[in-house]
Amino acid sequence: MTEEIVFKTEADMPYLPMSLGTTLVNKTGSWRYIRPLYVDKTPPCNHDCPAGEDIVGYLALIEEGKYKEGWELIMQENPFPGVCGRVCPHPCESECNRRELGGAIAIHTLERFLADHTASQRPSVQASKRYDAKIAIIGSGPAGLACAYHLALRGYPVTVFEALPVVGGMMRVGIPEYRLPREVLEREIADIEALGVEIETNMRLGDNFKLSDLEDYQAIFIAVGLQKSRKLNVPGEDAEGVIPGLELLKRVNLGEEVQVGPSVAVIGGGNTAVDAARSALRLGSDVREPRSNEVTILYRRSREEMPAIAGEIEEALAEGVKIRYLSAPIELLTENGWVMGLKCVKMELGEPDESGRRRPMPIAGSEYALKADTVIPAIGQEADTSFLETGEQRLIEVRRGHIFIDAAGATTRPGIFAGGDVATPFGTVAHAVGSGKRAALAIDKYLRGEELSGFPPIDEAVHAVPKDMDPAIVRFDDLNPAYFEEIERTEQPQRPIEERVSGFEYFGWAQYGEVNLGFNEEEAQAEAERCFNCGTCNLCDTCLIFCPDVAIARLVAPPYPVPLARLNGAGYEVNYDYCKGCGVCAEECPRYAISIEKEIKWKK
Amino acid sequence: MEKVIMGNHAVSYGAKLARAQVIAAYPITPQTQIVEMLSEFWAEGLLDAKFIKVESEHSAMAACIGASSAGARAFTATSGHGLALMHEMLHWAAGARLPIVMANVNRAMGPGWSIWTEQTDSLAQRDTGWLQFYCESNQEVLDSVIQAFKIAEQVLLPTMLVLDAFVLSHTQEPVDIPDQELVDRYLPPYDARYKLDPGDPHAFGAMVAPPHYMELRYKIQKAMEEAVEVARQADGEFREIFGRSYGLVEKYRLEDAEVVLVASATITSTARVVVDELREEGYKVGLLKVRMFRPFPTKDVREALAGARKVAVIDRNISFGHGGIFAEEIKSALYNGSHRPPIFGFIIGLGGRDVTPASIRGIAEYTFEHDTPEMEIIWREVKNS
Amino acid sequence: MIEIRIHGRGGQGAVIASKVLAVAVFKEGKYVQSFPAFGVERRGAPVMAFTRIDDQPIRIRCQIYEPDHVVVLDPTLLEAVDVTAGLKEGGWILINSEQDPATFDLPARYRVATIDAQSIAIKYKLGPKSAPIVNTAILGAFAKATGIVGLEALAEAVRESVPLKPEENVAATREAYNSVVAS
Repeated sequence: MTEEIVFKTEADMPYLPMSLGTTLVNKTGSWRYIRPLYVDKTPPCNHDCPAGEDIVGYLALIEEGKYKEGWELIMQENPFPGVCGRVCPHPCESECNRRELGGAIAIHTLERFLADHTASQRPSVQASKRYDAKIAIIGSGPAGLACAYHLALRGYPVTVFEALPVVGGMMRVGIPEYRLPREVLEREIADIEALGVEIETNMRLGDNFKLSDLEDYQAIFIAVGLQKSRKLNVPGEDAEGVIPGLELLKRVNLGEEVQVGPSVAVIGGGNTAVDAARSALRLGSDVREPRSNEVTILYRRSREEMPAIAGEIEEALAEGVKIRYLSAPIELLTENGWVMGLKCVKMELGEPDESGRRRPMPIAGSEYALKADTVIPAIGQEADTSFLETGEQRLIEVRRGHIFIDAAGATTRPGIFAGGDVATPFGTVAHAVGSGKRAALAIDKYLRGEELSGFPPIDEAVHAVPKDMDPAIVRFDDLNPAYFEEIERTEQPQRPIEERVSGFEYFGWAQYGEVNLGFNEEEAQAEAERCFNCGTCNLCDTCLIFCPDVAIARLVAPPYPVPLARLNGAGYEVNYDYCKGCGVCAEECPRYAISIEKEIKWKK
Repeated sequence: MEKVIMGNHAVSYGAKLARAQVIAAYPITPQTQIVEMLSEFWAEGLLDAKFIKVESEHSAMAACIGASSAGARAFTATSGHGLALMHEMLHWAAGARLPIVMANVNRAMGPGWSIWTEQTDSLAQRDTGWLQFYCESNQEVLDSVIQAFKIAEQVLLPTMLVLDAFVLSHTQEPVDIPDQELVDRYLPPYDARYKLDPGDPHAFGAMVAPPHYMELRYKIQKAMEEAVEVARQADGEFREIFGRSYGLVEKYRLEDAEVVLVASATITSTARVVVDELREEGYKVGLLKVRMFRPFPTKDVREALAGARKVAVIDRNISFGHGGIFAEEIKSALYNGSHRPPIFGFIIGLGGRDVTPASIRGIAEYTFEHDTPEMEIIWREVKNS
Repeated sequence: MIEIRIHGRGGQGAVIASKVLAVAVFKEGKYVQSFPAFGVERRGAPVMAFTRIDDQPIRIRCQIYEPDHVVVLDPTLLEAVDVTAGLKEGGWILINSEQDPATFDLPARYRVATIDAQSIAIKYKLGPKSAPIVNTAILGAFAKATGIVGLEALAEAVRESVPLKPEENVAATREAYNSVVAS
C-alpha cells in the first residue's frame, strides 16, 4: 500500500493532473484473473484440405512475395501442387471465411500459381538419412507417388510398380489434358524421382508379378485405384459404339485415335462424365466446324445433386455440352450390333437415400428415345481386387469391394498397407495424396518398430510436418470484421471457348489447350492479400496498439522470418506484471490469434 | 514572399511555417480548405507531419490531445457545429494543459441552417480554458497562427484563433508569407516538459479528488493571467523579427475620442474606414479593436477607454437572455475601474448579414445622439414592422 | 478605390476571374481584395464575385454594392438579374456576347463593351464545348476596355492562377484583349 500524498500548497503540485511518480510501481498484473495467450488456431481451409496443406501459411508467403518458400511449404505435405492447383475440387474454399466478404479466396488458383511460378526451380529438400529397408509401392497414381515421396524424404529406398506404360495413374490417363497439361504432371513426378524413387512401368500386379514375389521388400503399399467401370446393367450395353468414360479418357490420354459419332450421349453426373463429355466435344470438333457433334449428358438426378465440380459443369455448358437432368437410360437401342440410340425414362426425386441425396424414381409412362451413335457410360468405377491370390484374400481383408485399412492405412496383413481409392474411394487427387502420406508415415513407424497409433480418423488429413496450432477451427464469427472490407474474389482468366474446343488443330492431335490460364503475379498478390489469415498471427500490431497498459512488446522486427505465418506466439511478448487481463487484445485481434486463458490464483 | 491568398490558406501557411507535427481534422464548410491545403503540403512533401483522418470533430480534438500529450505540436481547424461537437474535448485539452492550436472559422449555429459568419460558436467556448484571438485580415491570421503556438507552449494552454467565414476565409488579398528561417528563429521546437512515454510511464488525466482539484483550476487561471503578458511579449518579439504586430487590443484614433467604437474581427477593419470618414466630418470618434478575448485584457481595455465619454460595442454574436458578449465583457471589465462610461451594446450582422460602412456609421451616429442607451440591447438592421 | 462586380453562373469561373484580376493588379503594385458573394454556389445559378483595387491597403470588408464596373460572363444574365444595380455613372459593362454593344438596351450613362469570349474559349478548348470557361478571355477584354490592368500582368496572373491549360488561357486572354468591341 503506497502512502497517500497530500500536497500542502498548490505550488508543490504539478500543473496538470498527472502522477509524479512512475506508474511502473503499479503492477496492474496483480488484478488479473484471465490472461491472453498467442495461440494459432486452425483456419477452415487448412482443416478442409485432404492433403493437409498449410494454406494460410503459403497465402501469407505469397503476400510477402516469397514464392519459392510458399511452394516448398506445400511440398512439405503434397508433392503435387501443380496438379492439385488445377484438378482439385478445392474443398478448402467451401468453408473459407472470406465467403462473407466478397467470395472465398481462390486458393486452388494460388496453389497453382506457386507451382507455375517456381516451375524452373527444384525443391531443396533431400533425405537426411538412409535406411536399408526396401519398400514396394503398387500403383503410380497420386496415392502411390505421395507415399513414395514421403518415404523417400525419410530416407527409404522405394520402388513403384505401374501397370501402364506411363506414370501417374489417373492423373495421367483419367484427367483430360485441357485440365492438366502433361508437362505439369511430368515435372512433379520428376521431382519425386529425383529423390531416388524407382518406377517400373508395364508391371501389372496379378499379370506381371504377384504380391508373393515381393518378399525382398519390408513393406508394401497397395494403391492401385479403381480400374473397373461400373456397368449400366441395361440391354444393349455391349454393342459397338459404347465406350466407358474412363476408357475413352485413357485412350485419348495414351494418344490413341478415338472416333466419336455425331450424336454422343454420356451417362452419369460425376467428373468422369463431364470430362468424357468435354473430350467427346473436342474429338468431334475441328477449326472449320467446331462442335460438329452434339454431346448430351444424361443424369438421373438434378443439377443440385450432380457430384462433378461445379466449375467444370459450368465450363462444359459454356462449351456447348447439353445436360438432361432427371433422365436415365433403360435400354441402348442397337442395329446390326451398333448402338443407334437410347431409350430413357424421366425420373423424379424421392426421399434421401443413404448418400444423403434424394433418390431418383422413374416416372411411369415417361419413356422417350434419344438418338446416339456413341454412348459413354460414366456412372462410377469399382476396385478390381482380383490380383489377390486365393490365400491372400484371407489375409488381406476386402470389405464392400475395397481393401480394408485402419487409421494408419494398414491392411489386416502386417507390413502391407493400402490407400487411395482402392481402400478409401474419396475420388480426388488430394485425398489420395493424404492417404499415401498417411501410409508413408505409418510405414516409417512400422519399420522402426513403433506402435501404429496416433493417426487421425481416415477422413481427416495427416501432416508430415505437424503444425503447432489449436485444433479449434476459426469461423467468421470468431474474426473481428471491423478490420476487413468486402473485396471481390479474383477469377483466373480462361482460354476462349472456340480455341478450347477446336484445340487439337492448334495444339496437335489430342493436345488440347488448357482451359484455365492461372494468375499472373499481380492477380496472385491481389487474391492472397484478401486472406484474413484466420487464426494466424501476422504481426499486424493491433494487440500492441490497443493494449491499455502498454504491456505487449513485439519480439520480431521486420523483415519477418519465414514462414511468417507460423510465428505462433513468437511474435509478441506479454508483460504479465502489467497485463491486467482486460482482454482488449484478444477482442480486437482481427484474426483470432489470441486466446484468453483462465488463471487460477492461489491464496495462502 | 507576398502572395494573394484566401484567409483559409493563410491559416494553412501559418500551420506549415509553425511546423505542426500532427494534424487531425474533420471537414466542415467554411473551414475545409485549411486542411485541404495542409494535406496538399503534406502530400507534396512540404510538411513533415502526421495527418490523421478522423470521423468527427470530437475525435479530431481527441487525436490532437493524444498527439500533444506525447509531446507533438498539434494543430486542427474547425467551424461552427464542428466546434460545438468538440466542446467536451476543449475542456480536456485545457485541463491537461496541452498547447494545441486550432483555427476556428466563425460560422453561425443552426437552425436556421447557416454557413455564414457569426461569433457565437467560438464565444460559447469562452469558459473552456482556451486562449482566443480574433483576426481582421489574412495577414493577421497567418501571423496569429505562429504567435499562437509561441504563446500556448509557454503558458501550456490551448489556443484558438478565429476568423470570419467568407469575409476572411474566402477572401483573397495580399499576404506576406514569411521565410521559414525567420519563423524557426521565432518559434523553437516544442519541448514538452511532461509527455506520454512508455519508457517512463506516468498516469495522465487521472481522477483528482476534492483535496486537489481546485488547485488545478487555480493554476489554469494563473496561467491565463500570465498569458496576457506572454502574449504581449510574443507580439513584441514578432515585431522585432517580422516588422508586424497587432497588440492584445489596438487603439485606433482614440486621442480625444468622445465616442469609442469597440469591435473585433473584420468589423474592425470596415470600422476603421468609418472612423476616418467621421473624423473628416469633425466627429470625435475612435475605435478599440479587441484582438485577444481570452484571457480578457481587462487592464488594456480600461486604459484604452479611460477617456471615452460613451462606448459603443459592436457584437456579431449574442448570449441569449443577456446580450452581446463583447459588450458584457467590456461592462464587466470597467465596473471595478474608476471610469464607467455608458456602454451601448449593439447587435448586428448575425448569420453573416453584411456589415457595411453605413451599418457602422449608423451605430456611431446613434451613440452620438443618445446620452445613454435606450435599451440594454440595441438591435441594428432588424426588419422591424 | 475601384470596385468591380463580376456576374456569372456557377461553374463559369466568376470567382477565379475575380482572383485573377486581383493577382494581376497586385503584380502592378496595387492593393487588392477579391471574394465571392458570401455563400453557396450552385452550378448554373447566377453568382457574383468582386474585386477591389486601391493604392492604399484595403480595409473595407463587405460586399460591393456600388461598383465602378461590371463584367457579365453570360449574356442571359441580363434577363435574369439587374447587372446595373448600383453601378456608378460612366462605369463599364463588359458583356460576353458576339453582338455589337449597341444592340443592348442599357442606360446611356454606362459604357458598354462586348467580346465573343464564348467562341474564343471554344477555340482554345477551355472547358467543355457545351459550357466553355470564358473567364480568362473576358478579363483580356476587360483590361483593354477599362485600362485598369496591363495585358502582361494579366497574362502572368492567368498563367499562375488557372488550374489547367495555362498557355491556352493566356492565348485566349490575349485574343480577347485584341478583339474587344466598345460602344
